[in-house]
Amino acid sequence: MSLKVLVVEDDREIRTMMQSSLSVEGFDVQTAVSLSEARALMRNNPPDVVVLDLGLPDGDGTELVREIRKQHATPVIVVSARHQEAQKIALLDAGADDYLTKPFSVGELLARIRVTLRHRGTSLAAAVTTHVLEDLRVDLAAHVVERGGEALHLTPTEFKLLARLVRSAGRVVTHRQLLADVWGAEFTGHTHYLRLYMAQMRAKIERDPAEPRHLLTETGVGYRLADT
Amino acid sequence: MAALLLLAATLCSAMLDAYVSLTSQAMIYVLAVVIAAYKLDWVPSAVSAVAAVTALNFFFVPPRWTFEVESQEHFIALAVMLVVALVISHLAASLRRESRHAAASEQRARQLQALASSLADASTPADIVSLGQQALDSAFSGPNTVVLTAGIGESPDATADGLRCCMAESAVLGPGTGRWPGLNAWYLPLGSRGQAVGAACVQPAHAADVDSREHAQTLCGLLDQALQRVNLAATVQTAETEARRQQLQSTFLAAVSHDLRTPLAAMVGAASALQTQSDKLGPADQLRLLDSIVSEASYLSTLTENTLQLVRLTSPQQELRRDWESLEEIIGTVLGRVRQRDLTRRIKSRVPAGLPLIRVDPVMLAQLISNLLDNALQYSDGEIDLTVALTSRPVAGQNAQALVISVKDRGPGIADEERELIFEPYRRGDQSGPRESRGAGLGLALCRAIAAAHGGSLTVSRRTGVGAVSA
Repeated sequence: MSLKVLVVEDDREIRTMMQSSLSVEGFDVQTAVSLSEARALMRNNPPDVVVLDLGLPDGDGTELVREIRKQHATPVIVVSARHQEAQKIALLDAGADDYLTKPFSVGELLARIRVTLRHRGTSLAAAVTTHVLEDLRVDLAAHVVERGGEALHLTPTEFKLLARLVRSAGRVVTHRQLLADVWGAEFTGHTHYLRLYMAQMRAKIERDPAEPRHLLTETGVGYRLADT
Repeated sequence: MAALLLLAATLCSAMLDAYVSLTSQAMIYVLAVVIAAYKLDWVPSAVSAVAAVTALNFFFVPPRWTFEVESQEHFIALAVMLVVALVISHLAASLRRESRHAAASEQRARQLQALASSLADASTPADIVSLGQQALDSAFSGPNTVVLTAGIGESPDATADGLRCCMAESAVLGPGTGRWPGLNAWYLPLGSRGQAVGAACVQPAHAADVDSREHAQTLCGLLDQALQRVNLAATVQTAETEARRQQLQSTFLAAVSHDLRTPLAAMVGAASALQTQSDKLGPADQLRLLDSIVSEASYLSTLTENTLQLVRLTSPQQELRRDWESLEEIIGTVLGRVRQRDLTRRIKSRVPAGLPLIRVDPVMLAQLISNLLDNALQYSDGEIDLTVALTSRPVAGQNAQALVISVKDRGPGIADEERELIFEPYRRGDQSGPRESRGAGLGLALCRAIAAAHGGSLTVSRRTGVGAVSA
């Protein structure tokens, strides 16, 4: 059985492009041009992943993401233009899984969908406890972080931060989510904590901290642990 | 006061009674009358003159303790003294009136001078109105009002009515003006006929007090001049802004007609070739056409992004989304992106560890650095150095720290006379050069706008080093 993708996009050209390129990859593609249509489709025929465009004629999608999060673990990928930063972050904080900035290539879209599908259900059961990419190996259960076979010593806060990123490896995690999960809900405004800890961690984990390979910055949004 | 003086004179004369003649006692009374005349108004001083003569008569002129006068000589002396006392008190009163008048005029002249000099510094109508209010309040006990036309509104109260009316008539209303003499205040328009920009209301107003009314009129005249100056300056500035905007728009249109059409033409050409000739084109040709569509489209996307950001930054309501950011991180992401166009790794970055966090808009700063790097990649061949240095420089007496981001390439350099021109929007260095270069010249204009929005600057120097300073 093929995986079902719901594309919510009001622009006909982009909708058609996504539909055809996703169909070619073997997805079963449904399309909606508005939030209300998307809601109806969610009820009748729940998809496996939702690709949601910002700036739809009947709203910004935050409500839809909240509704989806209440009932399903369906991954949501937000598609936004550059200037929609604030809305995009609001959706990510509301529970969207990842985002794409227009213009994007089909390759990027497919990669995002693959990552989110791999994580499907992990928000309920913490399934991901290990992460391996190139020379970096993280085993959360055994509390081990290695680079090239050599154990790295992380402070407890650094480890918590890394663990949070490992559990969402490949997906963006917003500043607010990281601060709330690692430091606590009352620290969500303290982005400078993150900057300092990320710099420390990069110094330990990265071969060249100035051009990171693993701990990637999503400028103005959050961080992403590279998994490809 | 007059009574005290007379009492003192009487006591004094009584004490000296045994030693001096009546003439000296009369002189003491005259002295009392002169002092009273100098200190008091005309009526009380005249009364005290009469009282002094009466007292002298009663206490000292024989027969004493009566109002009768014994000899004719004493009668004449008393009559002369009465006349002298009255004349003195009249003279003293008018002298006092004049010196008071002179002091008041001097104070008013000084106030006018002070108002004129403070109005010279005022730059908005609101400043001028508040200065005017202060000036009127210090000259008149009030309550006084100064308002601009817009501030009067439609309110139905008597003051607003008077203000509206004096503006409509462009004339002073109130006591002594011949217009609405029954009012208890003067209403003065700011501005001449048909161009009243505001009005003032001054209290208390008396018909006879011509000086005060003229002073109020002069103050209002100063306010009117200042308002006209400010309005004129604003008009000129609006006209200039409008002219600049139109010029920008026309250069933008000119740039669009070239820089947007060219990639669009290339894309349409390549796409239509694939559409109609795909059976005749070999796989290598098809790939080349597809590559060209993708690269032209991404160029258009960058151009659009730069244009939008520049428009957003130059609009006055723009607010930066600042946060505490790590420059190392921002440069890391920019390099991650730019490396896709830098396959031979020409960019050498040297970012020292442990830089302080800076409060910036990360998206904007990333765009600044990536525009500079793209520029360097496009216009030069050799290595490109990206360096960051923390420097101290004195700012307003304090040592402020600044981050200097510099991008140095080994390109052909920029002629001295082009140094500033390259930052103008829609301009490109190397206009006539043989190099196949593109770009609407928006990149550097945007970079400079971003640097300026962060309180920094962007300059170019020899060896095509481009430095951005962000405080």
